[in-house]
Amino acid sequence: MKTILRLLSLILGLIIIFLWTVPSQTSGTALEKIKKRGHLLWGSDAEGGAPYVFPDPKDPSRLIGFEVDIAEAIARELGVKAKQSQNAWDSLIPALERGDFDMAMNGIEITPQREAKVIFSIPYYIYTEQLVVRKEETFIKDIYGLKGKKAGTLSGTVAQDILMSIGGVDVKIYSGQVEPYEDLALGRLDAVLLDLPIAAYYAKPNPKLKYAGSPVGEGFYGIAIKKDDKEFKQETDRILAKLLRTGEFKKIYEKWNMWNETQAKLFETIKDSGSYVGLDESKKAPLYTFLPNLLKGAGITILISVVSMALAIILGLVLAILRLYGRPPLNALATAYIEIYRGTPLLIQLYIIYYGLPNIGISLSPLTAAFIGLGMNYAAYEAELYRAGINAVPKGQMEAALSLGMTQSLAVKRIILPQAFRIALPGVTNDFIALFKDSSLVSVIAMVELTKTYSILAATTLRFFELGLIVALLYFAMSYPLSLFARRLEKKLSNKK
Amino acid sequence: MIKVRNLHKYYGGHHLFKGINLEIEKGEVVVFIGPSGSGKSTFLRCINGLEYFQKGEIDVGDIELHSINRLMPDKKGIETIRRIRLKVGMVFQQFNLFPHMTVLENIIEAPQRALGIGRDKAAEDAVTLLKRINLEKKVNSYPEELSGGEQQRVAIARALAMKPEAMLFDEPTSSLDPEMVGEVLSVIKELVDEGMTTLIATHEMDFAKEVADRVVVFDKGDIIETGTPEEIFTNPKTERAKIFLSRILKRSIM
Repeated sequence: MKTILRLLSLILGLIIIFLWTVPSQTSGTALEKIKKRGHLLWGSDAEGGAPYVFPDPKDPSRLIGFEVDIAEAIARELGVKAKQSQNAWDSLIPALERGDFDMAMNGIEITPQREAKVIFSIPYYIYTEQLVVRKEETFIKDIYGLKGKKAGTLSGTVAQDILMSIGGVDVKIYSGQVEPYEDLALGRLDAVLLDLPIAAYYAKPNPKLKYAGSPVGEGFYGIAIKKDDKEFKQETDRILAKLLRTGEFKKIYEKWNMWNETQAKLFETIKDSGSYVGLDESKKAPLYTFLPNLLKGAGITILISVVSMALAIILGLVLAILRLYGRPPLNALATAYIEIYRGTPLLIQLYIIYYGLPNIGISLSPLTAAFIGLGMNYAAYEAELYRAGINAVPKGQMEAALSLGMTQSLAVKRIILPQAFRIALPGVTNDFIALFKDSSLVSVIAMVELTKTYSILAATTLRFFELGLIVALLYFAMSYPLSLFARRLEKKLSNKK
Repeated sequence: MIKVRNLHKYYGGHHLFKGINLEIEKGEVVVFIGPSGSGKSTFLRCINGLEYFQKGEIDVGDIELHSINRLMPDKKGIETIRRIRLKVGMVFQQFNLFPHMTVLENIIEAPQRALGIGRDKAAEDAVTLLKRINLEKKVNSYPEELSGGEQQRVAIARALAMKPEAMLFDEPTSSLDPEMVGEVLSVIKELVDEGMTTLIATHEMDFAKEVADRVVVFDKGDIIETGTPEEIFTNPKTERAKIFLSRILKRSIM
């Protein structure tokens, strides 16, 4: 007892010391904070890739990219060092609002929706959207040739809005910039529309791909700054204008092969620092207008969960039976399957199935890959549940069945499994509910289910809170009836015993 | 009807049976007695192939089960064991009724699925059997709704539904409350009276005296004595049998 008390007071003491040493949010302007701290914290997503911010291929511990150069230039002007803060691209704005860093700079397009949440510096780059198709493509010459075709883009980008606005385009949403081009080369997509810097870096060197038409949809990248840091914005604008005038910007862009004539227009923005003004529609849109999209996502979540679970239940049963009753080497193979699938992350399995298998000539549609990926993973867990259930059936049951002249397979089917299933049922239900939620992982293979729908809608409208609550409610509305049903089933089965 | 020749069995490193020979005639009633762990249950379980044995043969009718067929059964070996099980029914100490099935389903399961008898015919036979043991009212009950004695009677009916030529009873009353022992024994007695070839491992000495044609005494895996109930209970020849019987009889007097 005494030692526990001593341990507790030690932990408490450590917590107090820790809280003491963590710099409290001192009052003062952002600029003052930065100078006091000695470094400028800027948020970006290195996973987003080249040429923005990405690990140096020669020394992956170091980040490089044109935005790294810009951040360093700004920091230098402020008399401090620049420090990158890693954050998922989708949630850079909310993280900025929360105060995780001083500014966010990562190819963030200046849009009215975002301007409702944060303020932007004057533009530091004029981006355009470049359509990319396969080398042999002859039909699609510009974005208007996309009707009825499959086109990929990144979630929450202006390119996505453009694709959606054309109408009749089957838009596939990705969260990384490598994957859409991979899928295009593999024939899963007909075209990819993304910011020109991305296309220049990822698509241009690929011999299987080519540009279609000239860039469309001019827009600005701006540095996002918290709404109340007006002074910091002015300072940032001043520095950006200076970098532009001194030609340092041009040098940076030339270094990254991003300079083009369009960029000359940046000088106009110095005169009039207002960015483009658009209608603020989705910000004001009532919540119910999002429902059709969310319900569609929920439908896909249900489809994926139900089909994957059915697959998992059947395959799991086969695995459990092979593991327990199979002859060598089948039993060892079943065991190996279970251990490997349980011992590796589902995310890696999905990547291998969707992006890895095409290397050996097996190319699956996102939906098929989702079914197989989730189904095969959960099968390993179901197999172990059944095995535990089968082992929990008393030995005398099998002996009684055999002594009556039943074959082993008949005894397993008629006597052992029905009893084992009853024992395993609570675990299976539990797994089904877990699978419902794990199904959100398939968004990495371009499946837009409920969670992905949410992150796309929230990233464009920045209404993380209200939409998040609705989505959570939808998940709950799907999984709760399932637990109720399982409880009734358990009760019914135990009555029959 | 049942011939056991030179039966050897090892339990882990322990050599339990060191060459047992025993022959049982059709219609004969043989009762196996002996201390717990003496091997009488294991012997019965060897006969219908629930236990491995390392050497020897067991004949049931015209079917021969060789040790090798039990140890590493190929397709033919598995079929041999199954054919023996179809000839000899077995009743267990723990009843082992199927808890997820009603009394009727318990009884018709094997006739339907292992013999291919139609459901109606199997159910008709089952009801006839249940009437014989006075349990026709429990036809749709689940095992957990029955008393231990009722469960064991259903288990006997379930074995009989396969129309076996011989019955093995493995301590059929050992896990019953004392007041239920009688009802189970009287069902077995009825079977014996009808001429069923019956092998019983039991601690019920009075019952052994009453029904046995022959009593076999096991001790430490050996058959130490066989004979009529009279010979065994009044005049045992070996010292080991005497010690066992005196212990048992003392206990039943107290």
